[in-house]
Amino acid sequence: MQFHSVYSLKNGVQVRKERFGLLFYNYAGPRLYFVPTQDLISNEFFEGNQQVKELVDQIEANHPWPRQWIEDRIGQVLQILEQKGLIYGQSVC
Amino acid sequence: MGNQYVDMGLSAPVNVTWEVTFKCNLSCIHCLSDSGKKRIGELDTDQCRKVIDELAAMKVFQFNIGGGEPFMRRDFLDLMDYAHEKGMVTCISTNGTLITEEVAKRLDKNLVYIQVSLDGATPQSNDAIRGKGSFSNVVRALEHLKKRNIEVSINTVLTRLSFPELDKMVELASEYGAKLRVSRFRPSGRGMDSWSDLNVNKNQMLEFSQWLSRHLKVSTGDSFFSVTTEERKSLGLNMCGACKLTCCISPKGEIYPCAFLQHDDFYAGRLPGNDFKTIWETSPVFESFRRLEIKSCESCHRFDLCHGGCPAIAYHTQRKLGVPDPGCLANCVKIKPPTVAAKGA
Repeated sequence: MQFHSVYSLKNGVQVRKERFGLLFYNYAGPRLYFVPTQDLISNEFFEGNQQVKELVDQIEANHPWPRQWIEDRIGQVLQILEQKGLIYGQSVC
Repeated sequence: MGNQYVDMGLSAPVNVTWEVTFKCNLSCIHCLSDSGKKRIGELDTDQCRKVIDELAAMKVFQFNIGGGEPFMRRDFLDLMDYAHEKGMVTCISTNGTLITEEVAKRLDKNLVYIQVSLDGATPQSNDAIRGKGSFSNVVRALEHLKKRNIEVSINTVLTRLSFPELDKMVELASEYGAKLRVSRFRPSGRGMDSWSDLNVNKNQMLEFSQWLSRHLKVSTGDSFFSVTTEERKSLGLNMCGACKLTCCISPKGEIYPCAFLQHDDFYAGRLPGNDFKTIWETSPVFESFRRLEIKSCESCHRFDLCHGGCPAIAYHTQRKLGVPDPGCLANCVKIKPPTVAAKGA
């Protein structure tokens, strides 16, 4: 995970916020992917306008969790989503 | 499939089945919606656009379009373009007869799947159900779609006529670069009249279940989870998705739990007019459907695989919900004692 990267949805992928976290839909299949992130990441994050560092800062400011835990959790989620072919990252530096 | 997340309640359906017209140029003897002529009250173009707007705003991912024959609507391709502009995927179920080279060209884009109905691997078997000449028309449509590399499934309803030809159907689908999808015959619409003649018997249902286990690339899409085996357990939904993941809009804009329960008992509202979000979240019909439990099935060894099967089939055959699917595999096994004994030995 690059802290100065932004992440976007791959072509044919849609995402929406649900009570459990994020629900991804992939035209290319398998269709649905459930990500139990609760309110850690919003679906707007995948519009590619917010850097990972900004997301981590935002979560840290609003929750009592240790920064390292937030970084690890976000890194893990983004890595899985990239491996599943749902998102791609772009460095902005 | 994340059943536990689905049970928490989704903010919107994942897909919505939308039957856009009753009008059809074929008269298939098993038609679930008794389609033929356009009926009074079907949504016009502006009303359809409002439906698309409302569902897109809720982030419904996909429309499963059916009918009737969708391509009988003059505005159909424009409506599909409008849905695609909103980012929605459309899966169009069609009899294929109106898919010309020009239509295939217009469908050649990323957000479209086509399901072409074919109920037999030969003109004789297919045309006996779908009408004379329909087989050759479908083959022509498959050729147009193949030329454009459009993702296609051949959709076959499991009947006593199509059952013996399933292997040939796999070959036929492969020939046109298509997938094969087998869907379940239901006693609704004209299917009620042909049910006793066409529905497979329990031995055939058991054989079909075993056939599916050997053909993991064949999809079933809807409500064959009553015959799901361990081999296919991870391939998709193993429970009824009505009111949890999906629902249905009729050609008149009426909202129901699924395409096979378009009955006054299950009417939940109408679009445009009622607020879809409110219907999805608070409709008493949808609420009760989400709480539906097939108590008598819960102690069955197959419950984790099927969750009681298809409520629509249970409703149409027994006029009530909350009862087991009559096509239940456990019941099929009961009539095959030698197989059960052999397994236990």
